[in-house]
Amino acid sequence: MAIHTPIDTVRTPVPGGPPPGAGAARRLRRRNTLAGWSFILPNFVGFAALTLVPVVAALALAFMEWNSYSTPEWVGLDNFRRMVGSETFWTALYNTTYYALGHIPLTLVAALGFAVLLNRALRGVRFFRTALFFPYITALVAVAVVWNMLFNPDAGPVNQLLRAIGVDNPPGWTTSTTWAMPAVIITSVWRDMGYYMVLYLAGLQTIPAELYEAARTDGASAWQRFRHITVPSLRPTTFFVLIMLTISSFKVFDLIQVMTEGGPGRSTLVLSQLIFREGITQGRFGYSSAIAMVLFVVVLVITVVQFQLQRRGER
Amino acid sequence: MNRHTGRMNRHIGRAVATATAVVLVTAGCGGGDEPAVGDDGREILTIALWNYDSTPEFAALIDGFEAAHPDIDVQPVDILADDYAEKVTTMLAGGDQTDVLTMKNVTDYSRYALRGQLASVADEAADLDQSKYLSLEPFNLDGDYFALPYRQDFWVLYYNKAMLADTGADLTSLTWAEYADLAKQLTSGSGQDTVYGTYHHTWRSIIHSTAAAQSGGDLIGGEYGFLKDRYEMVLDLQDAGATLPWATASTQKVQYHTMFSTEQAAMLPMGTWYAARLIEEKKAGSIDVDWGIAPLPQVTEGGPVTTFGSPTAFAVNNKARNSEAARTFVAWAAGPEGAAAIASIGVYPAYSDETITETYFGVDGMTNDEVAQAAFQPDEVMLEMPVSEKSSDVDVILTEEHELIMIGERAVDDGIAEMGKRVTSEVD
Repeated sequence: MAIHTPIDTVRTPVPGGPPPGAGAARRLRRRNTLAGWSFILPNFVGFAALTLVPVVAALALAFMEWNSYSTPEWVGLDNFRRMVGSETFWTALYNTTYYALGHIPLTLVAALGFAVLLNRALRGVRFFRTALFFPYITALVAVAVVWNMLFNPDAGPVNQLLRAIGVDNPPGWTTSTTWAMPAVIITSVWRDMGYYMVLYLAGLQTIPAELYEAARTDGASAWQRFRHITVPSLRPTTFFVLIMLTISSFKVFDLIQVMTEGGPGRSTLVLSQLIFREGITQGRFGYSSAIAMVLFVVVLVITVVQFQLQRRGER
Repeated sequence: MNRHTGRMNRHIGRAVATATAVVLVTAGCGGGDEPAVGDDGREILTIALWNYDSTPEFAALIDGFEAAHPDIDVQPVDILADDYAEKVTTMLAGGDQTDVLTMKNVTDYSRYALRGQLASVADEAADLDQSKYLSLEPFNLDGDYFALPYRQDFWVLYYNKAMLADTGADLTSLTWAEYADLAKQLTSGSGQDTVYGTYHHTWRSIIHSTAAAQSGGDLIGGEYGFLKDRYEMVLDLQDAGATLPWATASTQKVQYHTMFSTEQAAMLPMGTWYAARLIEEKKAGSIDVDWGIAPLPQVTEGGPVTTFGSPTAFAVNNKARNSEAARTFVAWAAGPEGAAAIASIGVYPAYSDETITETYFGVDGMTNDEVAQAAFQPDEVMLEMPVSEKSSDVDVILTEEHELIMIGERAVDDGIAEMGKRVTSEVD
């Protein structure tokens, strides 16, 4: 059976043109295809020039030695061997994972918690929603600088508060290798939770009120309603939030660059920073592309696993 | 579909195709290699530099050069000082065509030069009177030159004259031990009103380069025992509260200028570049500190005065649009005329002779007592960091380990051992 698209069925005669027939239809189709292509083309050219080609080039560069001026030289797996033998790489991978394991669950829980809290007809709810979203639209450098001040071990308000409530020896935060990463995670959770809260709020609007009413009639407690209605109904939103958080956590760069520059020592050095440092600063674009490939594969694998788990959960 | 929409589609299709073609064509042939010429017919010469407004030497050089070469219009490309190295590295990697690049230090210079990003200026170097320069040698890479120095900085000790007046210390020949005692003695007050005896900025050079220069250590050699004494002294001063803790200075991004000019610190080991800013701001009335310059303290008394420093230079970008004008500028700035231009505003030039020295100490607001005269006659100025392909990799490691020692997470001996271990195993 022939499938007729709306275009196929167009038979409007063009004045002065050939009579309607097979040839005209073909011309029309060709013209429409061309028009379609020319609509896509500008965007595609941009995508190809700015994304596709660089990504493919980076993949190739991972197997080369190149300082951006010399002719790239094929070195096979040398860059990967160097990476495996580099303590700094493993430190950065560990730190990135540490950051992700802190940032993802905390942001998710905070975002969901605030969304549920602010999804009621409370007085001033709009104000609180706006206030929570505010950090997300604040310039990241400003966020980092201000939090650095708050975390100042001696005079910073955070430690002053801790001392006031009886903590004798408060953490050194960004001046301590143990506490620098938690400091960065706290800052990033504070900054990101508003954005994900808005996503959850949108998700909450889609849950039919009848479900809650029915549950209430059956005598379900608030926790039971949350546990058995809200959480399952939000599954698609949670999945989306999880994927977005995972990707953003693994490619974290700017916040750490401004707050700690990877320090003290290497305690907050993450993969994106290492890629930047090896490539842009040290001019080892091959090696830095190899690290970028590893980062890509890590994120890809985690995302695929999440998709699988999600699919299994739906069944 | 009616006739009207059909025609409109055709129009849109054509418009989109034309727009695409225009984008492709302009993207393909953007730039161009012909020399840039301004509306007034003068050649445009672009110079990458930092903090143009607060670094008066650049304006002095540009004004002087334009007066000598009225056919050239010099346009600064202003970059934030803190981001300068990274920004220029990124620019060069992207094929930027800025004509002249300021080389902030010799490490960056060697990196750009070894990557082939700078044009040779060996001919211009051959024309210079070598005996008049303290450090032309660091720019010699296997007999070739890729930048010429226009200013020479080295580290000295800035001090607050009023605060040190009663101490009776002989500042012309201070040892580090005497310096430490003095710093403790000068510390007073508490909380917000603390006046520290001295301020050590967060750079590792204050410890590393001083120790290397004065004890003959090699910063890229992988053996760092020579750093121990300096670390112990600095940490002791920190523990005694005689200097702002490193961690505070680092996280709060404290400016050394603020510490010294607002009289929160009585002494400040720092480079000679700082004098120009003090002169200028004092003249403008924005600061009031009565400052002096003394030689950098030494390990022992009576020996030769050794300090460290770094020449600042101009290089010609290998992809410069106005390569000829760029060469003219680089040679002019490195020569006597460039030297005179910056000496007259209190910046110590790379080229020096009697006239230049006279000009320098004659600057209105310049401190020119006996102690200052001594400070400007060091016996030896070592490089802040040796020039080598390894320098920037070693720099990363030393900086990371330095941080750990300074925040007290690693004992001095362990930190020094770790530096050696990492430099040996990670840098090839």
